[in-house]
Amino acid sequence: MLFLSPLFLWFLAAAAVPIAIHLINRRRHKTIQWAAMQFLLKAARQSRGKKKLRHILILTCRALGVAALALAAARPIVSGLIGWGGGSIDTVVLLLDRSASMEIKPGDGLESRRQIVIKKVRDAMADLGATRLVLIDSASNKPQEVPSPEILPDLAAAAGTDTAADFPALLTRAAEFLTETSGRSEVWLASDLQASNWHPDDERWAATRAGLASLPQKPAFRVLSLTGATAPDSSVRLLATRRSGDELLIDLEVLRSGEARGTTSIPLTTHLNGTRTTETLTVPGQSLRFQKRVALPSASDTGHGWLTIPADGNARNNAAFFAYGPAHPVKTLVVSAPGESADYLALAAAPPGFGNLSTQRVEAGQAATAITADLAAILWAAPLPTGATAETVQRFLTSGGQVLFLAPGSASDTPFIDLKWSDPTEPPAGKFFILKDWNHSDGPLRDGIEGTPVAANRLKAIRRQIPLGDASPLGRWEDGEPAITRRIIDHGTAWFLGSIPDYTWSNLGDADVLLPAVQRIIAAGTERFDASYLAIAGSAAAGILPGETRSRLDDQGTPDPANAEYEAGVFRLGERLLAVNRPPQEDTPEILSREALDTVLDGTNYTLLDQAGQANDPALSRDVWRAFLVAVLFFFISEGLLCLPKSPSSKS
Amino acid sequence: MHSFIDNTLLSRLGALPIESRVPMLGNVAGKHRSPHRGSSVEFAEYRKYVPGDDTRRLDWKAFARSDRFYIKEFEADTNLRAYFVVDASGSMKFAGKGEAKIQYARRIAASLAYLLVNQGDAAGLSICTDKLHLEVPPSRRAAHLERFFSTLGKLEPAGETGLLGALHTIAEKIGQRAFVVILSDLFTDPAALGDALQHLRYRKHDISLFHLMDPQEIGFEFERPHRFVDLEDGTALVVEPNLIADEYKTALRDFLTAVRAKCHDASADYQLVTTDTPLEPLLREFLTARLPKSKR
Repeated sequence: MLFLSPLFLWFLAAAAVPIAIHLINRRRHKTIQWAAMQFLLKAARQSRGKKKLRHILILTCRALGVAALALAAARPIVSGLIGWGGGSIDTVVLLLDRSASMEIKPGDGLESRRQIVIKKVRDAMADLGATRLVLIDSASNKPQEVPSPEILPDLAAAAGTDTAADFPALLTRAAEFLTETSGRSEVWLASDLQASNWHPDDERWAATRAGLASLPQKPAFRVLSLTGATAPDSSVRLLATRRSGDELLIDLEVLRSGEARGTTSIPLTTHLNGTRTTETLTVPGQSLRFQKRVALPSASDTGHGWLTIPADGNARNNAAFFAYGPAHPVKTLVVSAPGESADYLALAAAPPGFGNLSTQRVEAGQAATAITADLAAILWAAPLPTGATAETVQRFLTSGGQVLFLAPGSASDTPFIDLKWSDPTEPPAGKFFILKDWNHSDGPLRDGIEGTPVAANRLKAIRRQIPLGDASPLGRWEDGEPAITRRIIDHGTAWFLGSIPDYTWSNLGDADVLLPAVQRIIAAGTERFDASYLAIAGSAAAGILPGETRSRLDDQGTPDPANAEYEAGVFRLGERLLAVNRPPQEDTPEILSREALDTVLDGTNYTLLDQAGQANDPALSRDVWRAFLVAVLFFFISEGLLCLPKSPSSKS
Repeated sequence: MHSFIDNTLLSRLGALPIESRVPMLGNVAGKHRSPHRGSSVEFAEYRKYVPGDDTRRLDWKAFARSDRFYIKEFEADTNLRAYFVVDASGSMKFAGKGEAKIQYARRIAASLAYLLVNQGDAAGLSICTDKLHLEVPPSRRAAHLERFFSTLGKLEPAGETGLLGALHTIAEKIGQRAFVVILSDLFTDPAALGDALQHLRYRKHDISLFHLMDPQEIGFEFERPHRFVDLEDGTALVVEPNLIADEYKTALRDFLTAVRAKCHDASADYQLVTTDTPLEPLLREFLTARLPKSKR
């Protein structure tokens, strides 16, 4: 509760007046000589209970009536948002989550959570009177003075975006701003508590909390939780695109909101270079992953398009944008001594019938000169590189290349990127090393986009080498030793597989494992060639470079030029073509738990205003002086009734 | 002249006799009935002649009619001795909206004593507190009245009541039937009061009780807190009268009911009198009520 005219609170002292009058009256008694004392004593004894209580109630009613009158005059505002306070708030810092997930509509309204909470904040600010409002939105992360709360819903800086929010950064920015602000402040966090926006495990929280704790005047924190039931919603998400000749391979995912059950049909419309085709997707359950092949016009060097599903609870997640460049030959370098292993690797890298795939075979000694920037991947079945070759391979990795190191057949003399091979080992006679556990959602052995698993359990080895060093294992042999590991080097990835496709080693050459693994590694290597056509909204890649101008090419939705840099769409930036999509984490429904919120905001004594985003919930604050006036009437009428003499009938 | 004697009042009431409700046993002839047969003009009864009876009292006409000897008997008239028992406890000093209860008691006692002596009866005074029991023996002489009035005038209420003890003493001390007039606020235990009245009743005394109360004691109307100090023992109590008025009145009502019942049980003539009541109508009603129906 907050009081807009706190000076009137001094009149609360007037509540003591009836009690003081009572006490003074008791002291200012008149002395009288009395004869009928026996009745007086008896009456005094009998009146100790009910009568005394009645008298106390009368006094209480008088005191409370006066107190309620003083409180009403102080213009109280009651709210879960605004805490208790004796004075007015000087500054409210509104941290507004403008992420795409905030555009979902609650189950009971036609406006998005962001719009609802903005209006509630506007009304609450109007109740607060002359309080300064500073907006720090999640898209720009810059403090912005709001001259009047009335314009808050119309501010471009409060409009919806396709970006993600970063609350550790937002709170850090708020702490920096408050360091330079004097007076009583409050920080209002309007968010749907999407876990991906709060990064509860982020190490930056410690620094953020320290920054908030070091503020000279501690602000009050109010979390406007915009959770709860939502309108039915489906989203379409672009997982990856890859041009393969005259086809564009688009990996897509369609998600339905958590409450969705059963199978449903969703029309998917493809917009490509001005043409539009629609197909119907059958979504079993809550998600569907699939690869869409889009035939590109012949001799089409560049182009763009987008895929849409019908409008629903959240208009921001119904489109996925793509752009593509000229067809790029996919080159793979096989570094291996001639032999069965090199043959299998070359075959897996460039199977017959795929004209855009090519491979080059060299031995380790010539690798340094064969490694060029246009390679998609390197398959290295030789001792780990050393010297100048190692430096060349490392540069290739740093620039985004993919290298698959296979067991060389002998232990490493010197490590490469701190990793090396163990001595070759063999299983007991009559036994095999069998791949048992592997990561089904990540890495080259992951399940297919439709969920089909790779038959990695068919991999049996009679010789193996263990990759040693600090790397993430993605698959293990039956005995728990790592079979395949990953080490990320800047933009590239080094993979280590502890066998080779040679019958004296394993059945890796049977193609159950080798072909998908190699092709996925090559596909990952080619992504960097198409990466310049894709960006995430709000990221640096989506920004314009000096001298560039931004123009939007698609006509999806209702673009807001003022927020173009935070919106998804297909843009021409100078000479560049860029498809911008919302961050994938915006489609994940995971909500920050109360415990996690307690942890990240530890020490702030925050107040959680739950369900603030529901349309039919009351306003964040209410001017309640009328209620206090009613209380005044109630107390004084009660006092009057208590003071009434008993009716003659009851006397008799 | 004493302040409590109102000549005008006495002259107006002078025509009203004070009658006893029970036959009196007096030493001399008077206006009041006696339980013995006497020589008044009022016929009482016939009885058979027994040897030794005065032959002058034989009814010869009856003998002529019945040939039997009958003695004709007449009522005996005697005088009345009245005892005025005045409570002189501290509570009688209280003077609220009316005059002090003791002053009112003085006026009643003096007026009735004057009327009694004036009609040839004797009036005595008994003043009682817990420490004092002063008596003026009854006498018919006019000069006695001055002593009576003087004692009343010097009366200074103080201390706790000694009424009950005084009543028992009087009951034991007075050998012959008498008219006992009690003037008190009766702030004592009603049960003990009932015992004292029964004691008097057992001795066949004619009891009249003037229960004197101040209007303020009955109404108990005060606006602000008061510190009440007991006139008898000095006990003090600070209360807000508004809060306890109902309980006070209930306690008083219960007390008055109990006292009235005790008086009824003892055949005492009970009068609840507030000190703002004019004396003349009070005494006129009192005296008239005591008259035989034939004389009213």
